Amino acid sequence: MTEPLLSLSAITRNYGAVQALRGIDMDVRAGEVVALLGDNGAGKSTLVKIISGGLKPTSGSIRFDGQERHFTDPSEAKAAGIETVYQDLSLCLNVDVVANFFMGREITRKVCGIPILQEKEMERVTGKAISDAGTRIPSLRTNVEHLSGGQRQAIELNRFVHFGGKLVLLDEPFAALGVEQTARGLKMIRDVAARGVGVIVITHIMAQAFQVADRIVVIRHGRVAGDIETAKTTPDHAVELITGGTLSLAGRDTAKLDHIPVQQEED
Amino acid sequence: MTPARRRTFEFLLDNLVWLMLITVLVIFSLTIPHYFQFGIFANILEQSTYVGVMAIGLAIVIIAGHLDLSVESTAALAAMVTGLLFASSGIGLGLSLGPPIVMIPVSMAIAVAVGVVIGFINGFFVIKVGMSAFIVTLASFIWVRGLVVAISGGRSAQSLDSAIRIIGVERIFGIPLLAWISMLCFVVFSFIMAKTPFGRYVTLVGGNETATYRAGIAAPKILWSSFILAGALAGLAGWLLAIRTSGATANLGTGMLFNAFAAVVIGGVSLKGGIGKLPGVYAGVLLIYSIHTAINLMRLPAHWTQVILGLLVLAAVLLDTLKLRLREKLL
Repeated sequence: MTEPLLSLSAITRNYGAVQALRGIDMDVRAGEVVALLGDNGAGKSTLVKIISGGLKPTSGSIRFDGQERHFTDPSEAKAAGIETVYQDLSLCLNVDVVANFFMGREITRKVCGIPILQEKEMERVTGKAISDAGTRIPSLRTNVEHLSGGQRQAIELNRFVHFGGKLVLLDEPFAALGVEQTARGLKMIRDVAARGVGVIVITHIMAQAFQVADRIVVIRHGRVAGDIETAKTTPDHAVELITGGTLSLAGRDTAKLDHIPVQQEED
Repeated sequence: MTPARRRTFEFLLDNLVWLMLITVLVIFSLTIPHYFQFGIFANILEQSTYVGVMAIGLAIVIIAGHLDLSVESTAALAAMVTGLLFASSGIGLGLSLGPPIVMIPVSMAIAVAVGVVIGFINGFFVIKVGMSAFIVTLASFIWVRGLVVAISGGRSAQSLDSAIRIIGVERIFGIPLLAWISMLCFVVFSFIMAKTPFGRYVTLVGGNETATYRAGIAAPKILWSSFILAGALAGLAGWLLAIRTSGATANLGTGMLFNAFAAVVIGGVSLKGGIGKLPGVYAGVLLIYSIHTAINLMRLPAHWTQVILGLLVLAAVLLDTLKLRLREKLL
């Protein structure tokens, strides 16, 4: 198979004396959905920030799209094709849906060298993207502060579906969504992956991970505790990996995991 | 509510300050003798020039989520530098350049440059050092005024060169050139804020800086530029003020900051950042000077203006809260 879209090797990150990440190795291929699981404080969010350019790793290397990368801020990661949907939404409540949808990539036309925002064009594109995704928003010119939590999240999700890029990171994307919207969100993820985009989803909810992911990567105490194809594992096993499950490792056949070092936490 | 009615409603809410201005002008015109005449209105426009130009920059910084208390002192410094270089009596050096007409752009460029430097310094401490804009610009408010007094030795510069004075004397269609300049500034900057990516980014940064950072917008650059713009516009206001008064005194422009702040708030700019439009700010400035003029015409002691201004600011903030509730209820 060709080179993975994203390849992390030996990524570490220290906060002062605290080691949040202690050497993460993982790959994501184009068109693949990877669920990143882990307990609170396992280092998931740190890892997401490193991939999305918001944080520099202390050591280790990131290869993305065939090149060694050293992102210094999110705009570089974004320019390279990495989209991120953060847990706390990245919306500006003081402007309308269109302005949020196009935040940082406004369509402009130069008139005498001055870039002018093309509002009609942006409204058209936003309207199409949002109705294609089946989201209902009363008016695209309403300020986002007047919209519900679900509608806000829908804007973010539609934004990544529309702009796509090459790799999408979703940090707890369905926290504010209802059952039906979540189902639609999961379908959105599969649709995006089917276009050849790599997807990393962070979630706490095992059922969602098993529903959407091709592969599950478990982070525990800053290390990869498991990297398994979804089809070859069970939610119970995943839970054991998350919690450290020494019990399970004693009795279980670990042969299918032999290519990944299962870390003990003695250091 | 039907979309059409909602749009009308929203339009009225967004332009409440213009409605207020029109109402106030109609009431004054009907009740105060001699208020309703062209000369009075032209005068209101002219008086609004200095605070108006200053308020544009202040509003941009506030929309970006910060504050600039130094605009008044910056304007005074720019005026003093203009007076010092181009006035011929008092402490003026009476500098004169080749063709007199060249002095207009040169003196303006110098005044604006003075403002740019102060804005740059403010921006440096707020953005690079990470200090609170309130403290940084309060400090500038004090030290820049101190600098004005220091370089002038407390004395004044008079008799600005007549070539420059043209700006303060000429009228177009009976309206002073100064008023045209401030209107032009409002048109240009309203356009920049509403139609260009820079204006959009200022608004976005004022709304949620983290979101803009994640979206790849260079928020620090936008913020710094807004401080520099505020300084430049304050410098321009100072230049206009020096032209109008044909020189500069050490206490020139004292109290303008409060008028500018009042205009910005009355004009519908929220101190929380991210909310507000420049045409509203212009209406706010005009409203202030319409009331000023009314009080003068009624021969009330000028101090009443201050009382009314204070109440007006309070009313504006109250109205803002009310508007939000109305919107929540009706939309």
